[in-house]
Formats: sequence, C-alpha cells, structure tokens
Amino acid sequence: MKNVRRFLEQSLTLAVMNFKLRNEGSYLGIIWYLLNPLFMFLLLLLIFSRNLGDDIEHYPIYLLTGIIMTNFFIAATSESTRILRANKGTIRSINYRKESLIGSIVLVAVFSHVFELLMLGVVMVIYDVSLWGIFLYLPVILLFSLFTLGVCLVLAAVAVYFMDLDNIWSFASKLLWFATPIFYSVSGYEGLSKVIMINPLYYFIMVAREFVIYQEAPEARFVLMAIIIATISILVGIIIFRKFEKRFAEMI
Amino acid sequence: MVYLEAQNIRKDFNIGFVKNQGALARTLSFLSGKEPTKKLIVLDGVSFKLDGGDILGIIGRNGAGKSTLIRVLSGIYPMSGGSVHKDGNIVPIVGLGYGFHDRLTMRDNILLSSSLLGQSREEIRERLDHIVEFAELGDFVNTKLFQFSDGMKHRMAFSVAIHSSPDILLLDEVFEVGDQGFRSRSSKKILELAAKGSGVILVSHELKMIEEHCRKVLWLENGKVKMIGRTGNVLKYYRDAFPS
Repeated sequence: MKNVRRFLEQSLTLAVMNFKLRNEGSYLGIIWYLLNPLFMFLLLLLIFSRNLGDDIEHYPIYLLTGIIMTNFFIAATSESTRILRANKGTIRSINYRKESLIGSIVLVAVFSHVFELLMLGVVMVIYDVSLWGIFLYLPVILLFSLFTLGVCLVLAAVAVYFMDLDNIWSFASKLLWFATPIFYSVSGYEGLSKVIMINPLYYFIMVAREFVIYQEAPEARFVLMAIIIATISILVGIIIFRKFEKRFAEMI
Repeated sequence: MVYLEAQNIRKDFNIGFVKNQGALARTLSFLSGKEPTKKLIVLDGVSFKLDGGDILGIIGRNGAGKSTLIRVLSGIYPMSGGSVHKDGNIVPIVGLGYGFHDRLTMRDNILLSSSLLGQSREEIRERLDHIVEFAELGDFVNTKLFQFSDGMKHRMAFSVAIHSSPDILLLDEVFEVGDQGFRSRSSKKILELAAKGSGVILVSHELKMIEEHCRKVLWLENGKVKMIGRTGNVLKYYRDAFPS
C-alpha cells in the first residue's frame, strides 16, 4: 500500500514537472492540446461525413471519440519510447522505481484528455446528444489508461536496448491509426472486421462509443475483452519492466 | 543500530564496440552471436563494514572504481557478484547533483529530487525552507537552474541529500566544489549526522578532508581493496605511493 502511494506521488510530481517543462514559454498553453484533435476532427468530418458518415448514426461524435482515444494512446506510447533516456540524469544518480516515470506519462495524457473531453462535450451539445454519456465514459478511460500504462512499460524497457525504437514506433503508430476504426465503421465488412479484431484499441473504442453515443450497455463480450486486454497488458508490462529495470542505469 | 556490510562486491561492465544500437543491428548481431564486447572488471572482491556513527573514507586514483562502488552500494547499478547487507535507507550523491532539470526552478528541482529520494509530499513541504537556507540560496528559489553556477547546483544537491533523513549517506567528491564557508558548514553537518547515528562514506581526493573526518579509510586500486584500516596508517602508505 505504501509502495502504491509512493508510486502515485512520484508519478504525480514527475507529471507536474513534465507539464511545466513542456509548456515553458508557450503562450498558447493548453490551446495547443486542443488544436491537433480539433483540426483532425474538422478535416475528417469535412472529407468523410458525406460518404462514410452517412451510414453511421451521430457521425461527428463517433469520429471525435475515435480520434481522442487513439490520440491518447499514441501520445503516451510515443513518449514512453523516449522517457528513460530523457531522464538519464536522475536514473544515474538516484535509485528509485522507474515505473513512476511511466506512470507520469499516463497522467500527463489523462490531463490533456480532460481538455479533449470538454471538446467532446461541446460537440455533443451541438448535435443534441445527452451529456450523460461522458460520465459513463469515465470507467472506460480508467481501464484504457491501465492498458496504455502496460504498453508504455514494455516500450520504455525495450527502447533502452533498441535505440531507434522511437522511429519504429512512430511508423507503427501511423499504421495503427489507419487500422483502428476511427473515421470508418467495420460493420458489414466480414473480412475487414476479422482483421480489426486483433487490434486491442478496437474494443475500448467500441465500448466507449456505445456509452457516449447511445448511453447503452455495450455488448458483454466487448466489455469482457477490454477488461482481459487491460489486465494482460498491465501484468506483462510490470513483469517485463521489472526484469530489465536493474540494468537501465548502465545501459542509457 | 544502522549498519552497512559489503561482502566480496564484484562489478563487471560489458563494454561494447558496436556503434549502431538500432533494432535491426541488435537483432542481427544477436542472431549471429558476434557482438564484440570486452569484459571490464571494475570492482573485484570489495568487502568492508560500516557501523552507525562511523565515517569511512574512500581514496584511490581516477578510475579505481570509487564512483562505481558508490553506485553499486546505493542500488543504482546491479552487482555482478557479492552481497550488500544494509539496515536503513541509503542516500547517495554521485557526481554533480541529481540530474537536475535546467529549465525548472530551484523549488521544482528540490521537490522532484526529494520525491525521487523517497520523501512524501508533507515531508518535503516541511523541509523545503531548511534545504534552501542551508544551501544559502534563499534569493533564488524561483530562479530557473540554467542560470545557476555549478557551485550553486552542488550546494543544492548536498542540502537536499542531508535533509532527506539518510541513515547511510554516500558522498562522492562533495568537497571538491564549494567555497570555504560552505565546506566548513557541510563538514559540521556531516559530523552532526554521524553523531546522531548515521553512517557516512566519504569519497575524496582531498586527503586533508579525509584526515579530518574519518577514523577508517579504504584505499581502492584497480577495483580491489589495496588497504583498509586506521586513517593515519593508510594515508601514510598512500602518500608514499603517490607523493604529491
């Protein structure tokens, strides 16, 4: 229990410092966090709402939920491929649990996600969808954060050994972006939906959309899959990270 | 009673010669089994004991393994062999500070490094003023660190370390920087901590400082204990071996 508290405290302190470092001298501040998803959303809406979006109910909300969740995952994971090297100084002079660094990444992602949720709220009001969905969404993002934390732990540990992992991952995450039904739907495409099933993001986004758009309970098998994936991810993440953690100080 | 006991510590480094550490190059060299490495033995069979209240001096030339020993004792580097038994928390200062971030203010840096040293938020809040005061940096609490001199950063690091209630304090060349006034206050603080029962290890090239603080000295040479014993005795042989 004491360890969990220390982990959370250290993660929080690191996240606050990380946030300060990132926003140093930026007058636009938090607006930066909104510009990227906002432009992506408007652009895709403009291009696809007429053809792809016709068959999907509440397409703008469908689209935005997909964008902000995938952004959350990609932002956190790409940061995790660089974090240990960026904190080389502390790692080589203090013996602390490096998991806190990874925890801080996910906290920063959650923080900017709050702003994206505000944006989602505005869009929901515009398209006359009940805001209750956002509250139902909170447990989903908690589960999704655990899943993301697990993936980040693995990536951060591997990145110590493979110096170019950040390049590889930035390419992989572009592929992932298109392999996730963000602006399209797989229903009706038998073959495609089978392929998409291996994409773990799919389950979280599906569950989130059911809650946000319809305020309805999603299919049980999707919820179950999301829970299983998150559990496996966090367990594997902790095991792999702890196995390599001891050598970080002399490898970076 | 606080104590630290090191038995037969051994530390090897695999020094690689491969320039490319990318995924493809790593995988290829792993598959072909031909990654050229050289084993470098940095510490070999180092044993000693430190009781609470003791100040142990460590001397040796550059590259003797002093800083590596401090890192191994504090758990930053894993050991290749041997064991360390300890009772209490170890706080090290290796090199110039705690990897401070230049673009953060002094206050933020203190919060961050104290937190990583295992302090809770309440403890840090309580001690912040003392830390700043001891480092004599009261006017610069909200100044970003890139405007600090090395001496200021070093004073700050030392102050953070001694205020984190260490049971065992490992100091790597802390007296080599800092002016006379700060030195004498640091030295007083170290004696004070030892008198309260903390164990201290002091690595230094300044034999005068070692003489003043330590009753026992360990002389490291090429990763091995060349000599360990009473300060006067060891320093006599050391000075004979390396006359200044």
